[in-house]
Amino acid sequence: MDTSDKQIEHLAKLSDFSLSEKDSKSLGKDLESIINYISQLDELDTKDVEPTYQVFEMENVWRDDEIIPQEATREELLALSKEQEDNQIKIPKVL
Amino acid sequence: MSRYEITVGIECHVQLSTKTKLFSEVDNDARGKEPNSCVSPVDYALPGMLPRLNGEAIKFAIRAGKAMNCEINPNSRFDRKHYFYPDSPKGYQITQFYHPIIGAGYIELPDGTKIRIEHAHLEGDAGKLTHFSNYSLVDLNRVDTPLIEIVSMPDIHSAKQAHDYCKELWRAMVYAGVTNGDLYNGNMRFDVNISLAPEGSDKLGTRAEIKNLNSFRSVEHAVEYEYERQSKLLDKGEKIKQETRGWSDATGKTTPQRSKEEAQDYRYMPEPDLPPIRLSKKFIEEEAAKLPTTPKQYREKFKNIIANDTLEILLDYKPLMEKLAELKEKSVARVSNLFTSVLLAEEKSVEMLNSLPTATQLSELCEMTEKKELSSTASKEVFLRFFDPDMKQKTARDIAKELNLLQENDLSALEKIVDGVLANPATKQAQEDFKAGQEKVIGFLVGQVMKASQGKANPSSAQEILRQKLKN
Amino acid sequence: MKIANKTVTATQLVKDALAKAKHFEDYNIFTFLNEEGALKKAAEIDKRIANGEKVGKLAGVPYALKDNFLSKEGNTTASSKILEPFKSPITATAVKKLEDEDAIMIGRTNMDSFAHGSSTENSYFGPTLNSADKARVAGGSSGGSAVAVALDIVEFATGTDTGGSIRQPASFNGIYGLKPTYGTISRYGVIAMASSTDCIGFFTKTPEDMDLLMSITAGQDKNDLTTLPDYYDKSEAKEVKKVGIIKDFDNDAVSPELSHALKIKVEKLKKQGYEIVELSMPSLKYALAVYYIIVPAEIASNLSRYDGIRYGFRSDNITDLESIYTSSRNEGFMDENKRRIMIGNFVLSSGFYDAYYLKAQKARTLIIKEYEEAFKKCDVILTPVSPNQAFKLGEKVNDPVSMYLEDVMSVPINLAGLPGLTIPAGTSEKGLPTGLQLIGPRRSDKTLINFAKELK
Repeated sequence: MDTSDKQIEHLAKLSDFSLSEKDSKSLGKDLESIINYISQLDELDTKDVEPTYQVFEMENVWRDDEIIPQEATREELLALSKEQEDNQIKIPKVL
Repeated sequence: MSRYEITVGIECHVQLSTKTKLFSEVDNDARGKEPNSCVSPVDYALPGMLPRLNGEAIKFAIRAGKAMNCEINPNSRFDRKHYFYPDSPKGYQITQFYHPIIGAGYIELPDGTKIRIEHAHLEGDAGKLTHFSNYSLVDLNRVDTPLIEIVSMPDIHSAKQAHDYCKELWRAMVYAGVTNGDLYNGNMRFDVNISLAPEGSDKLGTRAEIKNLNSFRSVEHAVEYEYERQSKLLDKGEKIKQETRGWSDATGKTTPQRSKEEAQDYRYMPEPDLPPIRLSKKFIEEEAAKLPTTPKQYREKFKNIIANDTLEILLDYKPLMEKLAELKEKSVARVSNLFTSVLLAEEKSVEMLNSLPTATQLSELCEMTEKKELSSTASKEVFLRFFDPDMKQKTARDIAKELNLLQENDLSALEKIVDGVLANPATKQAQEDFKAGQEKVIGFLVGQVMKASQGKANPSSAQEILRQKLKN
Repeated sequence: MKIANKTVTATQLVKDALAKAKHFEDYNIFTFLNEEGALKKAAEIDKRIANGEKVGKLAGVPYALKDNFLSKEGNTTASSKILEPFKSPITATAVKKLEDEDAIMIGRTNMDSFAHGSSTENSYFGPTLNSADKARVAGGSSGGSAVAVALDIVEFATGTDTGGSIRQPASFNGIYGLKPTYGTISRYGVIAMASSTDCIGFFTKTPEDMDLLMSITAGQDKNDLTTLPDYYDKSEAKEVKKVGIIKDFDNDAVSPELSHALKIKVEKLKKQGYEIVELSMPSLKYALAVYYIIVPAEIASNLSRYDGIRYGFRSDNITDLESIYTSSRNEGFMDENKRRIMIGNFVLSSGFYDAYYLKAQKARTLIIKEYEEAFKKCDVILTPVSPNQAFKLGEKVNDPVSMYLEDVMSVPINLAGLPGLTIPAGTSEKGLPTGLQLIGPRRSDKTLINFAKELK
């Protein structure tokens, strides 16, 4: 697969990175060789094979609908953010 | 001007009224609570946190599905939908993209039209941002409140029908007991897809999506507006842009929202932190059996007792229908009238709905009215007192007695009062006028009797006796 | 790992461990030394022992904690810049269980940032050096933990193994390292790399210690819905008679040192009366490609939460909301984190999902089936953990694919959820430790540990 500049830009966007031109170039080169490697899967025949997303035989694991105290308080959680106001997390304006 | 056929499909998000959130054990009802006070480390998306699925949400989904005549899929699972926004702490929403729990079904409108449901799935809600002049604040109280998203087929073909579908869907969910159905607080939100095509065309036009409508009226008006907007463009030979538009109740218009340069790529992926859901037939049936009476069943039950218009109004109030269902059939018509004429006119009707009188109180009230122990005015009066905190524990008779509302049905006693009134010189002129043929005067005389009886006289009996006496 | 008794106090054990940690400072093992906390806890345990009170099974035992386990001591950084300021209000389930038995954490250990790597060179805090040769890598991603145990600073250390991150550094440093059956130990409070393959495990100096740690930490957790119902303590070690070896691993890919180590071990097993079974597992050669599709996809997803908004590093170069994300993530992640996130977003993106992600999940099914077939023919499988012994610092770090190839023998069992135990297999002529791994069917962890005891 060709990893064009445009594709790298697209992947950086999906990943939310503001890559410098230099980083784009070097990462682009790396990604190209990785994608070439993983593309060898093409040759494996997986017709009629079901995918396996999880490797355990469990199902229907759920909990009761009861309120219980949590391990961290609101104050402890909010204190982890850089700026707060009125018990909320403060961020630059969303346009 | 050419004519266009309008096609509408609606996606509706319903917040489920489970006690706790979809993936953690914190309070799911943040109404009136401080920002971020209903947030667990899981909702906050701390590193190393894993979702803890609320089993009740699965059960609610089964009930919701059954309320929409839907298949319940025995095999379902969760997926991740990725996007970056401060209202999404994990950077993805846990939803059901590939294998939703609720399959195909339909909602039947009051006129019998069936609007098909494509599917419905469980997912977590997003947080809330509040914008100020140069910053925004993030409140995560609403993060991972359980939602079901209900996706209709494009079976709707008018603004009115869109309104009716939303309302019927709302009723179905409220009657199923899976949501508080509080539209003001965003318990149900509608995304409406609207497209126009020349009449008779078998191809759908390009659609516009109006996001986040939260009332039936907004849905109706937005569809009307879009019909106008799009048909004008088509008349001019212009193309409709596929876009997301916002609706303003204030201006009554839709406007394009900031369009994304490219289509969003959500990179759906099966959620590896949650085991799959495999529901046995028995489990599904047990939950389905818990579905309370549906609006349709109430319509069937009351169609010959309550006038259709009244019934459709009352159907907006589930507690009223439940109450009517408790009554003996003969009381239903009278109580439904009381409900309509009194309760719904009251400003505080919502609060009143939370403390309805008992069936016994209502039945006695009906019986007394029927036996003319209470006039229809007095009957309303007693009914209202059922909502008075000081009186609500009392029987209809006790209230009537306390307020002195019992009608005088004892004819000899009434006759004495009539005699007293006729003997009063002040009524002399009126008596003569009546005898001279002035019919209207009888009202004045009945009024005097009522006054003398302190309102307890049965006015029709009083009139009857008066007429008899004046004939002689 | 016998507990503080009358002759040695917990305080003394902790002081010794801290002194050794400082002595080996140039190995860059720890991202945080828990001096104050550890000494305080030791004093408390000594007091309880003196008062004749009950103490836990690990009372006074110093241990090291990989930097991706949430605990309230020090910052939990996953050896990354983006989490450098993160102080956890939460304690991971596994840590809680160790602490409940009175183990004493003396420090958090260095790792490849977010466990992305096979050498611990991808740490924001610089590489950890190999215990046997300071010019070589510690292995990774749990390099700090492996070296802490190998240099005898602590009795045991925790690790995580997503594709070999416990077994490979254990092998590079000549100690035991166990990746349990998927779902055995709760992942709650452990920074996720790839949810469907991440496993919590340990480094120890003996199989007996491994058994004790498993018995303490294994078990179902309501905070991790992917944990298996308790089985470890209830399970019986199966007697091993047949040992499988895999023919399909490309002989050219395996270094002479490891081929030799395997050969010696096989000869010894034969002499001891074990039957050696040759297995053909043709799908295994695709396992690495499958791994580097599925795992980056889950990484891209799991690392979406690091955005500079609610916790951790927020860039100073913020002009608007968008730049909180793009600048914080760009400055906070290392190159290898970025590569994996971008590969993950590539294989999940519209147009490529079926050809890569879905196809890989199907190939995974084939790999699982091959193991199932293999375990009909043998009780355990014996293979090298990696094709090479510890390589030189800087040798592979700038060539991601050559680094990934180091994982070719360790990743298959992660895809299948099987347990794997690294056992020491002597020292090569270069003076470097070699290790081999024992692989068993799901929930055969006890069998592997027991077999390792027999092989000592």
